[in-house]
Amino acid sequence: MSRPLLSLYRLDRNKLHDLSAQLRELLARDDRAALASLLGLGEELARRLAAERWAVGMMLRPDEDAQAAPIFASLRRVAKRAALELVWTSESPALEGRLRAYDVLREEEDVAEAIDRLLDAARLPWFLQRPGGTGGWLGDEQRETLATRLDELGPALPDEVNAFVAAFGGMDGDALVHDCL
Amino acid sequence: MAVGFFDRAKAVFGLQKGARTEGSDTAPRADRQSGRKTKAGRPPLPEVSGAASATIEDVLTARAAGSFDEARAILAAIDKGQGLRTVLRAAAALEAHDEEEVTRLIPLVQKDSPAWQLRLQVAAALDPGPERDDLVSRAVGLGAPAWSVAWLRALSSNDEQKRAGLVDLLFEDAALARTVAARDLGFTDIKPDNDAIRRYTAFAHGRDAIRRFGAAHVVALLGRVDHRSA
Repeated sequence: MSRPLLSLYRLDRNKLHDLSAQLRELLARDDRAALASLLGLGEELARRLAAERWAVGMMLRPDEDAQAAPIFASLRRVAKRAALELVWTSESPALEGRLRAYDVLREEEDVAEAIDRLLDAARLPWFLQRPGGTGGWLGDEQRETLATRLDELGPALPDEVNAFVAAFGGMDGDALVHDCL
Repeated sequence: MAVGFFDRAKAVFGLQKGARTEGSDTAPRADRQSGRKTKAGRPPLPEVSGAASATIEDVLTARAAGSFDEARAILAAIDKGQGLRTVLRAAAALEAHDEEEVTRLIPLVQKDSPAWQLRLQVAAALDPGPERDDLVSRAVGLGAPAWSVAWLRALSSNDEQKRAGLVDLLFEDAALARTVAARDLGFTDIKPDNDAIRRYTAFAHGRDAIRRFGAAHVVALLGRVDHRSA
């Protein structure tokens, strides 16, 4: 089994917030037809959603649940289309481990803290969290600060981290990283 | 089950076989203590030996069997001066009109932290109505987080409210939402989330214990506590 690769996205927080609010409202109203339309579900998946006691029940199922998995995939697809723009994907499966544990990065308290924040999946909306997956985001200002600090450490960092720094510092706006969207 | 409880009760109270049966005039050692009385003229509660192993479950079982003094004695023995045990001890004292003990315990209940949690646990143990709504308002005023209020709403007997609460909980704390859906709402296709089990049990244990104890007594206690705080 191959290790997943971290990807970097430009995040449009307003659009993600709007999608989240729309999803929340449809679930609260239990408007399954509108929900199926929002998620672009085909006939079979829309029927599956309609057969639930409540639509929210489907959303609470495990990620790997055979009934719910294609609906979660649709939801993530819609979220990506609405609010995320792919900037870069690492070629190295070691990048996450380097970011989380490389001693040069860990010794710099502010850098380590910002990286942990960037990789904290609990800060993502529930529909972008994946069991065993890595993900998180940083606002534009924090991204710039971290990119500058990483750039200063560049000579002491491995190639895969420097490749990330180049993409991370070269983008603009809020940044989201994920390894399984 | 009943045998287990009575065996345990014997251990807790140091009772000998046949020492006390309902309606018997043979009182346990502690009940036969000298005629020592409190200021209010009440006889002291039975003294409890071997109480280290007693639990709130023993208290609730004793109360269910109608043994209210025994329940109070267990509470007195296991109370560590904070948390649910102190709350139930104070509520039991209030129920028994033991003003002296109530007055002594209220400051400890006031210190219970986080303060919103007890009010929401009691609200969750009550049927819907103004009393429950008032407790929720007080909890919110004391800083109850959004997930806790969403959880309470998800436990509503009204299906629309329940669904809305579950949706709120999903967006506030998805792991807890899965756990509540599986454990409280009977969704069989949803699995409790290990990340949320500890928070769930901490809250649900208090709620369930208060419900079995008799939420009305804890409501009355909180009325006194919050009146003093105001």
